[in-house]
Amino acid sequence: MTGILLAASLRYLLRHPVQLALALAGLALGVATIVATDVAAASAGRAFALSMEAVNGAATHQIVGGPAGLDEALYVRLRTRELPAAVAERPAMAPVVEGYVRVGGQTLQLLGIDPFAEPALRRRSGSGTSQTRRGDVERLQRWLLEPGAVTMSARTASGLGLEAGRHFVLEVGGHAVRAMLLDTIDGGPGGIDTLLLTDIAQAQEWLGLIGRLSRIDLRVPAAERAARALEWLRAQLPPGAELRETQGSDAQNREMTAAFTTNLQAMSLLALLVGVFLIYGAVSFAVVQRRRTIGILRALGVTRTAIVWMVLAEAAALGLVGVAAGLVLGQTLAHELVALVSRTINDLYFVVTVNATVLPAATVAKALVAGLGAAVLAAALPAFEAAASAPQLGLRRTSLETRARALSKWLAVAGGVLMLLAGLVVLASGRSLPAGFLALFLLLLGIAAVAPACLEALARAVARLAAPWSLTMRLACGDIAASLSRTGVAVAALAMAIAAMIGVAVMVGSFRESLRTWLEASLRADVYVSAPGPGFSRPERRLEPGVIDLLVHRPEVVAYSASRRVSVDSPGAGPVSLEAWQLTAAARTGVQLVAGDPVRLWPAFARGALIVSEPLAWRLGLSVGDGLVLLTAEGPRRFEVAAISREYGNDRGAAYVDREVYRRLWHDEALTSLGLYLHGDAAAEDVLPRLRAAVAGHQSLLMRSNAQLRTLSLRIFERTFVITRVLYWLAAGVAAIGLLSALLAWELERSRELAMLRALGMTPAGTGLLVELQTVFMGLAALLAALPAGLLTAVVLIDVINRRAFGWQIDFHLRAGQIGEALTVSLAAALAAGLYPAWRAAHALLAREMRVE
Amino acid sequence: MRAGTAWLVLALLLTGCARQADTSAPAPGPAQAATGRLGQLLADPGGRGFARALEPRELVFPRDHGPHHEFRHEWWYFTGHLRAPGGERFGFELTFFRFALAPPEFPEPGGAVRSAWRTREIYSAHFAITDLGQREFRFAESYARGALGLAGAQVSPLRVWVDDASLETRADGRWRLHARSPDDELTLDLQARQRPVLNGDRGFSRKSTATGAASYYYSMPRLEARGHLVRRREGAVASERFELDGLVWLDREWGSGALGAEQAGWDWFALQLDDGSTLMFYALRRRDGRRDAFSAGTWVDRAGHSRSLGGEDVLIEVTDHWESPRGGRYPARWRLAVPELALELEISPELADQELETTPRYWEGAVTVRGSHRGARTAGQGYVELVGYAR
Repeated sequence: MTGILLAASLRYLLRHPVQLALALAGLALGVATIVATDVAAASAGRAFALSMEAVNGAATHQIVGGPAGLDEALYVRLRTRELPAAVAERPAMAPVVEGYVRVGGQTLQLLGIDPFAEPALRRRSGSGTSQTRRGDVERLQRWLLEPGAVTMSARTASGLGLEAGRHFVLEVGGHAVRAMLLDTIDGGPGGIDTLLLTDIAQAQEWLGLIGRLSRIDLRVPAAERAARALEWLRAQLPPGAELRETQGSDAQNREMTAAFTTNLQAMSLLALLVGVFLIYGAVSFAVVQRRRTIGILRALGVTRTAIVWMVLAEAAALGLVGVAAGLVLGQTLAHELVALVSRTINDLYFVVTVNATVLPAATVAKALVAGLGAAVLAAALPAFEAAASAPQLGLRRTSLETRARALSKWLAVAGGVLMLLAGLVVLASGRSLPAGFLALFLLLLGIAAVAPACLEALARAVARLAAPWSLTMRLACGDIAASLSRTGVAVAALAMAIAAMIGVAVMVGSFRESLRTWLEASLRADVYVSAPGPGFSRPERRLEPGVIDLLVHRPEVVAYSASRRVSVDSPGAGPVSLEAWQLTAAARTGVQLVAGDPVRLWPAFARGALIVSEPLAWRLGLSVGDGLVLLTAEGPRRFEVAAISREYGNDRGAAYVDREVYRRLWHDEALTSLGLYLHGDAAAEDVLPRLRAAVAGHQSLLMRSNAQLRTLSLRIFERTFVITRVLYWLAAGVAAIGLLSALLAWELERSRELAMLRALGMTPAGTGLLVELQTVFMGLAALLAALPAGLLTAVVLIDVINRRAFGWQIDFHLRAGQIGEALTVSLAAALAAGLYPAWRAAHALLAREMRVE
Repeated sequence: MRAGTAWLVLALLLTGCARQADTSAPAPGPAQAATGRLGQLLADPGGRGFARALEPRELVFPRDHGPHHEFRHEWWYFTGHLRAPGGERFGFELTFFRFALAPPEFPEPGGAVRSAWRTREIYSAHFAITDLGQREFRFAESYARGALGLAGAQVSPLRVWVDDASLETRADGRWRLHARSPDDELTLDLQARQRPVLNGDRGFSRKSTATGAASYYYSMPRLEARGHLVRRREGAVASERFELDGLVWLDREWGSGALGAEQAGWDWFALQLDDGSTLMFYALRRRDGRRDAFSAGTWVDRAGHSRSLGGEDVLIEVTDHWESPRGGRYPARWRLAVPELALELEISPELADQELETTPRYWEGAVTVRGSHRGARTAGQGYVELVGYAR
């Protein structure tokens, strides 16, 4: 019996390849989106972990200092000072001087190491084995004596087209320096691919860190001995230096990737949700079309259970094929996404090169569960429906439609409940981001659930209204209402996709608008100058004092503000971006406060109070009057938060401190950027070339006019949202395919009906027009449902998701264009989806379709 | 004799370069031509640009206890036997190597701003304890650049140090040796009762026919030592402290040359006899297995009179061998005779395995001596160094 059922299934599917392809495409797209997102996130995460591993090595602990690093004398002291009797073993330690450099357009992490200290960090004394090799002495001589000697992985070298023994140019802190590739390192994990290794002396000279260390790596043996060694080490540290576990900083850095990963994953879930509708449409249609067959099978004595199993098995098989296709497609898609992701990380987080994709096993499992689950779940309802029908009833569709209409009412009620639930979740969940996403999905599901009932009501109303004027219109709309089991699902999927699109579009638009306003208000100077280099708050991005003098004393310059941007540690809260400000009065008015007294702020600021940007305040739960402890060069210090300001530049947020206070507490004289105010009659575009000429030969700088900087910031913003856009077009594509498959199914199903209309005198063009009218009407209905829902979605995205993910408040901005875009998309999707069914309806062979009668 | 020991330091690997990766990078080939003066330096293993040991010169103390930066390599080599009141016995080796990668006037990289980490000299220390009570041999090796005070050498007051291994001059003029490893911490005060013994021709020691393949070489074979050792054995709850005294041998040598291409290694003997006399002898081995003609030694009688010995004066017969578990077959027992002195000695290692797994591996171990001198029974102790056997 089972064999016959399977054969029936198979034959049916093979005889309807278009349907089969559509169902598979929908499933594959949904799965692919999940896989792509996962792979992209995992690849970025792995690349990051690998570089951390390569950089940290076998170190268990690190001693780190503030932005100015550590005094190298500390290292000498730790190595040579006599140990107290209680401390058995001096921990293995190695100094590190690091920074970022660029080689041939690629960013590499320059790691200055002491080769004499490194081996001890990696192995216990007396237990290592080493073999003398010819050339080792020469290597050492070159390493120490060859000017600019560096080494890198063989992969990186070949990627950059560099050969061992060759000189090349390295950009570091605005200077081009000559480096020499000694040799390359073969093999090893990918993490070393982003490293450029050089002697610690060379690194100090290149990075301008004479006398300083970025950190000291330690390997403290794990035993009770360790506690005493750590105690001794801590006692040796000057204020401002901190001993911490390596894993700790790893975790903090991983947390940075979490934000963007969450976004991507939310998007992929959205795509899958739309995909589920698609599968439902395809499978339920497949069931409906076989109503006759099923009725006959039932009449022949096939049990209900067997029918259910047949349909479910079919769906599962479809699901498997879809998952396989989705995995392949997802991998391809991931390559594109990975590029986008790593760009996003580089812009916002840290410099990392993602050059290999990984497919985590968990992702395969997830794809299987999602794809199979979605297929089976989507098929369950039609399966039970088919099985539940009495043997002869299976031959009639009307009973199904009657039930569908009843169901749509219940669904509408359920949808309302879902939306209410979404509201409750938002209210009850406080700051939880996952709960925010849950609310979003509940909302979208609610919209989908309400859509069929709306469609029916609308279709009936229009049919009644149009009746006196147009028979076609009446027919078209009446038909839609009467075939709710088909049309309802398609419209629900489309409505949900459009709502999501509108939501995302409005959110991105509002964000852009808020950013633009913020940029306009906060960028007050005419020309901005900063030290070039990767990394948002790297201490080596430093303007040279001579260059600063040259610039601020130019005749065109009447005033300037200055800032130093670094990353400092906040005990318990991890690294915090800190900007030291020396502001002109004009620049002060550009600081947009969301909390705090603007009058009392500045005197307090000069005394050492902080301004904290919204994202940071949100992340650390800070309000005005609270304290934030930061690690200064003189030890941990508590700063009062005097005000909270707007910021969209950095989703981790930043704290701002007066430059004088910073100089005093962090012992750092350097500046990262300058804002130059020009004479009233000097145009920035004219002055820029002169300023560039003035500093030529000193330090190559990033120098931009106010307008250029604004444009650039917006461009970076757009780039950040490219991923979002890609995914939402994908979701729209999935919805369009869903609509097409539903229409096609519907059209096939009522081919007899359409043939009848033709027989009654309707022209082929008229039949085609009827089908097109119906699809456009469905598109419009979806749009109508999606408009309010989309705006609601936008509100959730802006006020719940963005706020919870990043802490910033975005002003709601709605442009007619965004609605227009949604209108265009929904109509275009409907029109395009209707074309083929309309063409088929118009070209149907009357006789063949009628023969059933 | 440690003329060739320079390559201990030479062999330093840049293993730290890729902390995770195995740095099986190829040795620099001819394609990687170094530039300018570095190229010349690399092309000349003979040590051009360095001062060279070409003829005898007057050695002056304490000046010559201090470093000779104009020479390529140099070492302070302490070995000795120590005894605790409870009867526990220890042997120790503490060696400081200085090795210059370039002559003093070689231009260092680094422009107007110069990092304090720039250096042309590197230092290394080897610290080994032969724990006879525990029948255990423990050692540690450390490297550091001669910069920032991480390692260095100075003459006035005399101080040589690598990390926390050091030779220092105390306020009372005595020398203090200090070293620590995870397991052992040794502190010894040394008192010289004799003038330094000049080896070879007034301290000028030729190693082969090649010009400059020589060194300046003196020994202080009987330094009286007093101090203590703190032993922290893995797993042991508390540390143990042993008050110690004993006899220490210092070997000092500096030069710029290297072993000849035909020379494969050496066996070095430093023996302190109970009657107050000492014998130093190094047998240079040729690749064909024969003893090199430049093998030599010094005999110091109990009155402190020294006498140079040529290679032909000393007969050595190997009576046993030891297979290193790390590879290589070492001689492990000797019969040494100096007919002219009517000296016949039986030399046996205190422990079989006293191999230092450093870069490269070598055997440096405490030995006991018994035999006869001018017909009278004699006994003693010493150290033997075996280089060039590790495979």
